[in-house]
Amino acid sequence: MTRLLRRVARAVLGVERPQVYYLPWLVRPGLDCVLMLSNLEARFNTEHNAGPFSMRVIQYDADGHRRGEHRARLERSTDVLEVKLSASEGAWGFVTVDGDHVHSDLYVTLSDGDAYAVTHGRQEFVEQYPVWSRAAMAAIGRALALFGRTVPAFVRHQYAYVGAESRSDLLLLNLSNVTNHVRVATLPAGGSSALLRIPPMGSHLLNVSRLAEAPAKGTRVVPLRLEGNAWFNLYVVGAVGAAERAAPLSLMHVK
Amino acid sequence: MSSSLSALLSATFAEPGYEHLVELIHQRDAAARRRLEALDVEIYDMRGDVLGARSVDPREEVLDLGKLVGEVLPPGDRALVLFDARYDERVFPYRPHHYAYLHRIASGDPPLYYAVNATLGGVPDRIGAERLNNFETYLFRAQRFAERYSLLLGSVARFSDVEARVTCYYATASTTTTVTLAPKHHTEVALPVEHEGQTLTRVEVKSLFRLASYVVGRRAGSGSLVLFDHLFTYFK
Repeated sequence: MTRLLRRVARAVLGVERPQVYYLPWLVRPGLDCVLMLSNLEARFNTEHNAGPFSMRVIQYDADGHRRGEHRARLERSTDVLEVKLSASEGAWGFVTVDGDHVHSDLYVTLSDGDAYAVTHGRQEFVEQYPVWSRAAMAAIGRALALFGRTVPAFVRHQYAYVGAESRSDLLLLNLSNVTNHVRVATLPAGGSSALLRIPPMGSHLLNVSRLAEAPAKGTRVVPLRLEGNAWFNLYVVGAVGAAERAAPLSLMHVK
Repeated sequence: MSSSLSALLSATFAEPGYEHLVELIHQRDAAARRRLEALDVEIYDMRGDVLGARSVDPREEVLDLGKLVGEVLPPGDRALVLFDARYDERVFPYRPHHYAYLHRIASGDPPLYYAVNATLGGVPDRIGAERLNNFETYLFRAQRFAERYSLLLGSVARFSDVEARVTCYYATASTTTTVTLAPKHHTEVALPVEHEGQTLTRVEVKSLFRLASYVVGRRAGSGSLVLFDHLFTYFK
């Protein structure tokens, strides 16, 4: 029933859903972010296993602006090309990758110089709203935001962790061309909440200790409910300590 | 227990000294927050001997595996942990997902968050997957880091030994190691970062049936896990 309603709503609003492959990125002083581009899956596709393979990477920043574009060419399916994503200190966002039959699990890595953590991207879609429905959603979003609410068109649940030594922050990605008001609330209902305004194709790095205090010892599990007026997804960012600007981080996808 | 329930056997590895919290139900949507029907957890040492087994209250959402393992495993050892879940496929149309939070206590390293291997049951049983899902790949950065890589492999089989072929690829060379795992045995296979002056670029694992398999990276100095990830099946 909910799916049917969503389908009808999308048709009324004129929403299109072009496919896109995306990965998160995150840069801090002393922390390199490198994409690993490959097309290993092509090895197992008899129609498309011969290179070369061309790829185009578009890097969006937290404000949804195009920060850069990278083009790559892989001669063979087993080639791996590394692309360092540069930015000023303390920046994040996501990249989209399109190219010749690229659906594989591309990697993004975070490195402190001694070691690196890694996660992979997702083949999904972005939502494209026509002008009139963007205007309508913006007006509704502004009105509901006055009350700390949003249109709960998409709802996700995610556990977060807040500990004395470490925590799991969330990198929220607005995969649409409308402003996405995402409300993040702790469960059970009635606890802390935050309303985030994420620009089109923008992102927000949420420090979960804003929503739940760290215990003196051990780690607290914080169930979260996230609702947004347009399509969004999230990555878990492993963080340590309070020294946010220089501490090492890890990145991890969720289902 | 109803015979109409679906089953999923998931597997991970655990070492003492880590906070290791396993989400028994990964919260994806409202329906998926409903509980499992039953969950048994078993912990095995490297020789396949049972160190501990218990039924978990399926109303629990997050299991403190670090505490459980700390009670039965000496420091420096590693355990294979199996999660035997029963679930209603009307509640979990795809399958339940277990995710976990992993952090070495007092290390200063960032915590890791990972998807627990689904080794038996779940979707392949339901849809009758025709292709092998036990040919897996993982890529490595070209730069050399102060990090040791390895594969954690465990057999969830009941009766049969299983061979796994681990092939490391370098720029022009490759090396292959074959390991044989008896039921419930597990091992850590080191992946040399360098071979004939060339840097490790990729590893592949092939086995006759599905193993519990993770690629891990440890800081060269402390041995702390900084990478703990599933491999990728491109053979779909």
